[in-house]
Amino acid sequence: MKRRTFLKSLAATGAATSLSGTGLLTREANARGKVDFGEVKNVRIDVLSETSWFDNDNLKKHIVDYGGAMTNQYDIPWDWDNAGGYMALLTVTTLEGEERKILLDSGWNNDWVDYIYEMNNIPEMLKSGEIELMVLSHWHLDHYWGIESTLKHKPDIKMLAPKTYYPEDMKLLKGAHLTAKNKDGKDVHICKNDVPHTGELVLCDPNGDKGDGIYRLMPGVAVRNFDVPILLRVRGENVLYFNVKDKGIVTVTGCCHPGILSLFSYARRNFKGYKPYGCYGGLHITLFESWDPKFDDIIKGVKAFKIQKLACNHCTGWIWAEKAAAAGIPVVKGTDKYKNYKRQSTVAKASNAFLTNGDHIVF
Amino acid sequence: MDTHTEDGNTFNYFYGAINLIAIFLIVWFLWFVFMNPNTVMKLYTPMYGFSLVVALLAAIVLLKDIAGYYPFPERSSAAFGPVKRGLLLTIAAFLLMLFIVYLFFWGFIGKFGIAYFSPKSIIASGGMGAEIFNARENASTAIVYFLTAFLWIALFWNVGFGKWPWQQTNQGVIAWSRLFAVLFFSSIVYAIMFHPHVCYLFYPAQDKAGVLSWWEGLAGTASAFFGLGLVLCILFWIVASNLLWEGHPWKQYEKNGEGTGAKGFVAFILTFTLGVVILFVLLQIMNYFWYEPFTGGQYTDGADFRYIHAGEICGFFILAAYILKYYFNNFPNVKIFWLRTTLRTLLAIGGGMLFYWFYYSPLATFFLSKVPGIAQPGDTPLVFTILFLSVVMIQVDFFEGWPLRKN
Repeated sequence: MKRRTFLKSLAATGAATSLSGTGLLTREANARGKVDFGEVKNVRIDVLSETSWFDNDNLKKHIVDYGGAMTNQYDIPWDWDNAGGYMALLTVTTLEGEERKILLDSGWNNDWVDYIYEMNNIPEMLKSGEIELMVLSHWHLDHYWGIESTLKHKPDIKMLAPKTYYPEDMKLLKGAHLTAKNKDGKDVHICKNDVPHTGELVLCDPNGDKGDGIYRLMPGVAVRNFDVPILLRVRGENVLYFNVKDKGIVTVTGCCHPGILSLFSYARRNFKGYKPYGCYGGLHITLFESWDPKFDDIIKGVKAFKIQKLACNHCTGWIWAEKAAAAGIPVVKGTDKYKNYKRQSTVAKASNAFLTNGDHIVF
Repeated sequence: MDTHTEDGNTFNYFYGAINLIAIFLIVWFLWFVFMNPNTVMKLYTPMYGFSLVVALLAAIVLLKDIAGYYPFPERSSAAFGPVKRGLLLTIAAFLLMLFIVYLFFWGFIGKFGIAYFSPKSIIASGGMGAEIFNARENASTAIVYFLTAFLWIALFWNVGFGKWPWQQTNQGVIAWSRLFAVLFFSSIVYAIMFHPHVCYLFYPAQDKAGVLSWWEGLAGTASAFFGLGLVLCILFWIVASNLLWEGHPWKQYEKNGEGTGAKGFVAFILTFTLGVVILFVLLQIMNYFWYEPFTGGQYTDGADFRYIHAGEICGFFILAAYILKYYFNNFPNVKIFWLRTTLRTLLAIGGGMLFYWFYYSPLATFFLSKVPGIAQPGDTPLVFTILFLSVVMIQVDFFEGWPLRKN
């Protein structure tokens, strides 16, 4: 198909093709045939915290002052008071009606994560084993450095994490206090973990558990690892796919660095009976409150897929969420619950285009 | 192997290889000090560092190709050796780079005219996201685009028109006339190909100042990476014809050894056409590996990425062409014209692919502190390529190959 014809048909029919990931071997992977990973009755997502930091300008200043977007995140003396964290509780209702829980990510600032966990009864769920496992979307500070807050309740929790970790990541997981030097040469505390992880650690790569690209967590639930380079010297992201019976595929992401359309396209290309249905998570678009013409491209592309529910927050950027809603994408609005929390993000908007702290959605 | 140079002297390939290694080490050192995100200056943010290296290259091209070194000595002499001349021109290029970025764009145009060329003016205008990080990146993006247009027109002018229509005048007149002509056409190219993109870097979009990207329907993206990629593809042919094809085929349109209007016109049309062709070919190759891109795709799925990546690949080819010409005597120098030019072109493409392999290999992680992987947002090999190219040009043109060139 000619390029222009293809792009026109994409816009007209909502059909999209692509490959996933960025490796040269994706053609081979895609030649393996389509995967059937079962179905769930529904999935509920509770937004524990999507506020990874409270002041955007403060975070950006640290990035700028210490070398920009490609600086090693462990070399920046972040402002601890500005740190929050990203965590979500995923409750799957199986076809048999059983509820099973997964924790997505573990936040950043332990004080904030502990506060959020207490509000949502997470410590008890971890201790009792009600939360079966934790999926670490990626090794970014705001998703991972609060790991102690999870491990102190369940040191042996099963974890799935991207295989593309750096030595500092593993050091923290095994128990460490880490510091970074500020401009005066003084060591600044950036993260700590006094509770080494003792449970099973599944390091995910794009091959999947059976060589077909995905890790099966339970019927209808899969994790796919996208090996993409990410800012602050991080690499690779785990994405959750849910196949909701009679509705279709739902993607759940931490930051969605691979790009929401690449996730949809992966599902379309690789999952048997693919039907687009919804997505939840940070979509990593206008997180720094800037704009770019390619963000308009993303709105057009997402519209073409005709998904039923798009719930976004965190690194999506309010501007994109508002523009997407205005363009006719079914953006699920949040509530004002976040205002009852002890802290709020400086960029929070009255339009509630984000599904934010304390909100939930059922797919 | 023919070890003779184009002017009939013997060429020592060993010195060429040593020279290249020395240049690589200098580039590595400069990268370590100025660009490496974990060391000293950390300028690779990326657009800020990008704007500085493009400005350095533009300064070198301005001194060499537009001004013909005016008012500096065109060649070294007994009284004014290559080292003295090289240092003088290097300092001039460096100061010119500072002038272009900080005085001309940030302090003059951005302050008194078009706000988006100056971080301070962007911040002063207020609104969402108007702080130093975004402001500096956006101003740098605009500067990179303008200087890309400048480099295209400047290099084309040198290869196409040469000194025409001012060949009867003195070097000072030629230098100033070419500068104004190149700036005039660069401004038009910038306004049409890049300004619409920059106007949409803000929220709300500056839609009274810039139209919606007119190329969107054609390119599948509103991003000016479409134009950036195309210009870099065109530049490869301009450089190839100048360095590898010995000025052919435009040379036949010269009159008394000087450029003509016809030569410029033909060179422009044909390099533009060849640029479109290589862009198309490179896009097809990428489609083979990564399937069709689509509107809104990110990383390798993004149409915008495919265009800039085609440009990045051509950037590697350009660098390899310079290395082949100046460090490896434009090998091979066989007698049959079409054979030697074809082989040189293939070698430049092969050498470019070696650079490509290097940049996306673990070696670049070691040397450049780059995160492994292709299409990282905020990473473009053009910064490394342009820095490398600038150092090559400084050594070859300003220092006349000193200390290792042995003709």
